[in-house]
Amino acid sequence: MSKSPSLKVYVIAYLLFLYAPIALLPLFAFNDSRVIAFPLAGFTTNWFAEMWADANLFTAFRNSLIIAVSSSLLATTLGVFAARASTRYKFPAKGAVLGLIMLPMVLPEMILAMSLLVVLIALGVPLSIFTIILGHVLVCTPFAVAILTSAFQSLDRSLEEAAYDLGETSASTFRLIILPLVMPGIISSLLICFTISLDEFIISNFLGSGDPILSVYIFGQFRFPAKVPAVMALGFILVCVSICLLTIAEYFRRRGIAKTGGKDTGGFL
Amino acid sequence: MTAADKPNMIEFRDVHKYYGEYHALRGINATIRAGEFFSLLGPSGCGKTTLLRTIAGFEDISSGAVMIDGKSMAGVPANVRPTNMVFQSYAIFPHLSVEENVGFGLRRDPRSKEEKAKAVAEALEMVGLKGYGKRAAHALSGGQRQRVALARALILKPKVLLLDEPLSALDKKMREQMQVELIRLQRQVGITFILVTHDQEEALVMSDRIAVMFEGQIAQLADPETLYRRPASKKVADFIGTMNFLPAQLISDSGATVEIDAAGFGRMSLAPDQVMSGDGEGGATIGLRPETLTILFDGQTASDREVLGTVEEVVYYGDMTYYDVKLEGTSVPMRLSMRNVPGRPVLDRGAKARLGWSPGAVVLFR
Repeated sequence: MSKSPSLKVYVIAYLLFLYAPIALLPLFAFNDSRVIAFPLAGFTTNWFAEMWADANLFTAFRNSLIIAVSSSLLATTLGVFAARASTRYKFPAKGAVLGLIMLPMVLPEMILAMSLLVVLIALGVPLSIFTIILGHVLVCTPFAVAILTSAFQSLDRSLEEAAYDLGETSASTFRLIILPLVMPGIISSLLICFTISLDEFIISNFLGSGDPILSVYIFGQFRFPAKVPAVMALGFILVCVSICLLTIAEYFRRRGIAKTGGKDTGGFL
Repeated sequence: MTAADKPNMIEFRDVHKYYGEYHALRGINATIRAGEFFSLLGPSGCGKTTLLRTIAGFEDISSGAVMIDGKSMAGVPANVRPTNMVFQSYAIFPHLSVEENVGFGLRRDPRSKEEKAKAVAEALEMVGLKGYGKRAAHALSGGQRQRVALARALILKPKVLLLDEPLSALDKKMREQMQVELIRLQRQVGITFILVTHDQEEALVMSDRIAVMFEGQIAQLADPETLYRRPASKKVADFIGTMNFLPAQLISDSGATVEIDAAGFGRMSLAPDQVMSGDGEGGATIGLRPETLTILFDGQTASDREVLGTVEEVVYYGDMTYYDVKLEGTSVPMRLSMRNVPGRPVLDRGAKARLGWSPGAVVLFR
């Protein structure tokens, strides 16, 4: 294979463009100046302290946590049903049904958020944290289905038959054999859905009732230049948490596949 | 008590199975006796695994009846049938240890913990895995998984043990070792074993009786020797080992003997048990196994009849040599096998050969 130097340059430039802005986060989070500019002024942890003292931020964080936990639980539960159905059962229009479940993954979120808003208002449903959870479930479910389908697919069907053959019922087979074997996939799905929900902005902004939500709150803070360093500090923490969660999720997904002796066919990392 | 006196364990009564339009089982009638090592043999797609799964209860039948120990299994789900299965993939639960796997079926057993642990230890010892109880199941080799699957199924003392191509994933050496071990195990526990296989040699080695299946039907059900020496049709003969076929002409059929004139071999008279109804493919054909033809070397005389031919191909296998010999007046060469013994030459291609044969070894398909 020939090695073209221009391709190398392209790859480096591409990666820089992607990750350099994120690398700036910790830089300015610890920079002792309210102005986001070079040269750097010196090291400080004041911004973390300022962030910590912000009561609104805590409310926003609590709300986001409620939303992220609920929507990841709901999306994963729905994902288990869909993944089980797609890997075990035949039913009419299976391809179309599964395609429609996966569609929100590629649909512009803007359109999703707008149409949901129109429907909710038409139905007279008051906007609240609950409506945001509904929207997030819609966006998270395709990811849950993708992860869980890979977990269910690597499950040998004869394992279920063997348990059944040895005297178990379908319910106890699910509990004793299927659930433990897909558990890594379930954990992985929960963590990824949690991360997606926590980061999500458009739906949180459209379907919220004004209660502070983390992503929306951060966006609001950018209007005040003085607040920007504290937001940088918060952003730095969120990046660290996201990377940790995704790594744990991928670890569990891979361990699950290795355990059942399957081949790795999906995943995000 | 000979095998034939034993009571019936499994009975198939005109079993049909459809998958949509596809007719997978086309009227299966057979009985399997208690304590028998029985094989379902056939090419892939012949319905043998489907038939096995109708015994286990994993497949519903479209019509007919499957009886186990005299009871109809209609409406009886797999988890309460007196059968246990060893799966092709072994289906070892990867998240459980060896002893948890083996003891899985005892979960609903009212016995005490100690008694169950003892039963697990005994089952492991029986399959030669003593001391492996604490190991993680997913770390075992193929042969060990096989043994765990056997112990897990046998611990429940089923009336029938079903084995779905259990040896196909093992290498040749391991397979031969497991064949012997399965026979030993079956004699030890006395349970009816039903084996599904596409390997004719495996079936011949292990079984008391074999059902050969093609396209959803049983083509012949017999003991290994009958199956080999008196195959019911050309198709069965071809599937089990090698058989040479030559066209023949029927001269007379007195009931007691059948006179024929076969290409290359000339006239001969056959006993009624040598005459098979065949496939109904039209025209009579004789069949001869390779080892029933012998090359006569200098000074040897035929014990029965003799025929001349020309060696067309020689394949040397070490212990055996295979020859393709074309007889005078025929168009297809005969395959024959000769054991190599010291001092006996291996013939070259083109050499003239005298072949010894006997009409008693001939099968006629008509």
